[in-house]
Amino acid sequence: MITWEVFGAWLSAAMVVWIYSFAYRDNALYKLAEHMFVGTAAGYSIALALDSLNRVVVAPAVRSPETFWAASWHYVIPVVLGVLMFAKYSRKYYWLARYAVAVNIAVGSGLALRTAPIANIVRQVTATILPLWGSDPVKVLNNWILVLVTLGGLTYFLFTIFPRRVEGARPSPAYWVYRSLYYIGIYGMMVGFGALFANTIMTRVGFLISIYLIYIQPEAWASIVAAVLAAVAIILGILRKR
Amino acid sequence: MSEMSALRSLEKVLGSKELLYTLLLLSVILPILHPLGIPVEISKRTLDVYEYVDKKLPPGCHVYIEVYYEVAARGELEPNLIALTKHLFDKGCKIVYGSLSAFGVVAFSLFKTMAADLFEDKVYGRDYVYLGYIAGSEAATASLARSIRGTISVDNYGNRLEDLPLMREVDKATDFDLVIIVSSGTDVFAYYVRQWHTPYGVPLLFAALSVIGPSIEPFVGAGQAIGMLVGQRSAAEYEVLVGRLGLGIASMDAQSTSHMLIVAFIAIGNAIYWSKRVSSQRGGSK
Amino acid sequence: MSLVVRRYAPQAIVTIIILLTVMFFYFYVNPETSEAFSRADKALSDWVVVITSFALIVGGIDILRFHLVRMRKEGLRQAPFSAVTISLLVLMVLFALHGWYLSYADPAAGIAITTQPQFRWLYLNVYAPADAAVYSILVFYMASASYRAFRVRNPMALLLLVVALIVIFGNTTVGGLLWPGFLSLRDWVMTVPNTAAFRPITIGAGLGIIILGLRLLTWREVSWMGRRE
Repeated sequence: MITWEVFGAWLSAAMVVWIYSFAYRDNALYKLAEHMFVGTAAGYSIALALDSLNRVVVAPAVRSPETFWAASWHYVIPVVLGVLMFAKYSRKYYWLARYAVAVNIAVGSGLALRTAPIANIVRQVTATILPLWGSDPVKVLNNWILVLVTLGGLTYFLFTIFPRRVEGARPSPAYWVYRSLYYIGIYGMMVGFGALFANTIMTRVGFLISIYLIYIQPEAWASIVAAVLAAVAIILGILRKR
Repeated sequence: MSEMSALRSLEKVLGSKELLYTLLLLSVILPILHPLGIPVEISKRTLDVYEYVDKKLPPGCHVYIEVYYEVAARGELEPNLIALTKHLFDKGCKIVYGSLSAFGVVAFSLFKTMAADLFEDKVYGRDYVYLGYIAGSEAATASLARSIRGTISVDNYGNRLEDLPLMREVDKATDFDLVIIVSSGTDVFAYYVRQWHTPYGVPLLFAALSVIGPSIEPFVGAGQAIGMLVGQRSAAEYEVLVGRLGLGIASMDAQSTSHMLIVAFIAIGNAIYWSKRVSSQRGGSK
Repeated sequence: MSLVVRRYAPQAIVTIIILLTVMFFYFYVNPETSEAFSRADKALSDWVVVITSFALIVGGIDILRFHLVRMRKEGLRQAPFSAVTISLLVLMVLFALHGWYLSYADPAAGIAITTQPQFRWLYLNVYAPADAAVYSILVFYMASASYRAFRVRNPMALLLLVVALIVIFGNTTVGGLLWPGFLSLRDWVMTVPNTAAFRPITIGAGLGIIILGLRLLTWREVSWMGRRE
């Protein structure tokens, strides 16, 4: 018997196959799946926004109004600001939405601004201040690599003030230090990008494997039917163009 | 000369994208249908994370887990989440799950279905809680660090947080012994480093997609996280360590074959490129 | 006057809030002020949680408007597809609202927005697989690009390839069969040269955050205000 659950599993497999069919050629079934995805994704995001709003503001206001109005009355302000966001659709009052955006970006930026100097800079710099001499040669080598490549990368990203070579004159020692670190930086980053490339393959293939295991393999027949339909849609598309 | 023509014809054949795609699909599907059974070695980094959870966390500890990945990333992150959850539950730890992304709710719901056995003897509200989606990115992270009950009053299923025993035990960042971030987004790791670790010193553990592992490595190197599990490989290793084999280990053979196929693509592409280049240089010198 | 309320007042709000958030974190006068700062700081973060929810709703409505316009402009070729998008969007929201209503009307049933059965069916069987497929389709292009575009033209590309191969063999189990050392070599690559390579980028991101903050403080950053007048 075809229950909603069974039909859902078939539909899931078909959605995957139709979206993958785009890798071969654009077709009507891909377009259908794509539009279904956009519709559900947008609806989902609105619903989850309502859910978050409900759990943060509405539920406490409805269930325990006294405590809410005593302690959390200030929620009225962001609710009003949030409603002002809809003013962006007005030609005349679009600027009202800026008040909500202003609060959002200011708080976001302020929160990041106050801890980023410690988290992103101080802690990274202190982690790079390492002993360059010692009894353990492996550790010493690792420390040299860490220090030189970090300095090199930072040098590579210097876009404002750096030693330049004056034509005709002998380059200064500062210039040579700069150039050496610059190249160490580039080669260091190539190592980083190599690792990134290899890990990208891992992730992308991992996505494919899990999709096969979760959606396609359990519903092999539905997938085959969906693939045949996609093939027909591709052929029809080609014939129509001719 | 015959080598040259063979290379040319190979280039012609592989030039069709349809063939490349079909080969890739086969390299994934065949080893799943006929597993090769290549053994999985445990790397020191995964072992370090396992040892930390096993030895450093007190029994009955409290852990916060951020579930922040879209459905596509399930294959890489869900096995990590399941293996970590099993390890924590085995130690009698209590877990609060939360999501800073809307798709986290789908991910959590699918995770619970996949790992139903882990939750069988666990009581919702006492042993674990799912807060649901909290909008606001970094601001929400900062707000939760100060007080979870002060941010949201109701969990994902409509229960009041003050009615849940676990939420009476924990409320702010410092109440947790460990925070695990299972994420497919780079930013969210930085949010937790900035808003939970930097001001409150809460230990963080990263479980990241392979592709973003390299870029968040500096945080681990600087001691801002106790360790990192990277993608499916770490998941497979952790599954072996906790003794619950799942999607991670099931994917390893297919990972091997598809990676070898891609290495072969790179090798053939370069062989053709260099042979052309060498022959054109020879032609030019004549 | 109009410029004051349209531009200067929002910009002034940005400056004041940034200064306040930094002050709440770093300044200490006495325990009472610290407590008040902490409460105000949390309130500000919570405001963002609320406003972001509204922003997400606006984003969803934008998609609705976009497809309504497409239906009108592009005629029959596009209309059926846009109709699918619009009807699914509306259906999802209606089911969610039904779940919301039930969570208050019949709390004992335990149904909330995300657990409303039809809403759940749609996101598990349409949204989830489509999302997974859309993100993973890149694997095909990546495989094709590694054959067509990955060329070792210079020493830098060679280094990139060698490191990539080490990490590939370290990541996969087949690498362990070829040489057991790949796994520890990969770990070394990740923890030493790779960490050093990405550390300047992390520092750069930190500098970027500081610069963005300063630009907002000094009213130089105006892109967030949208259209110019």
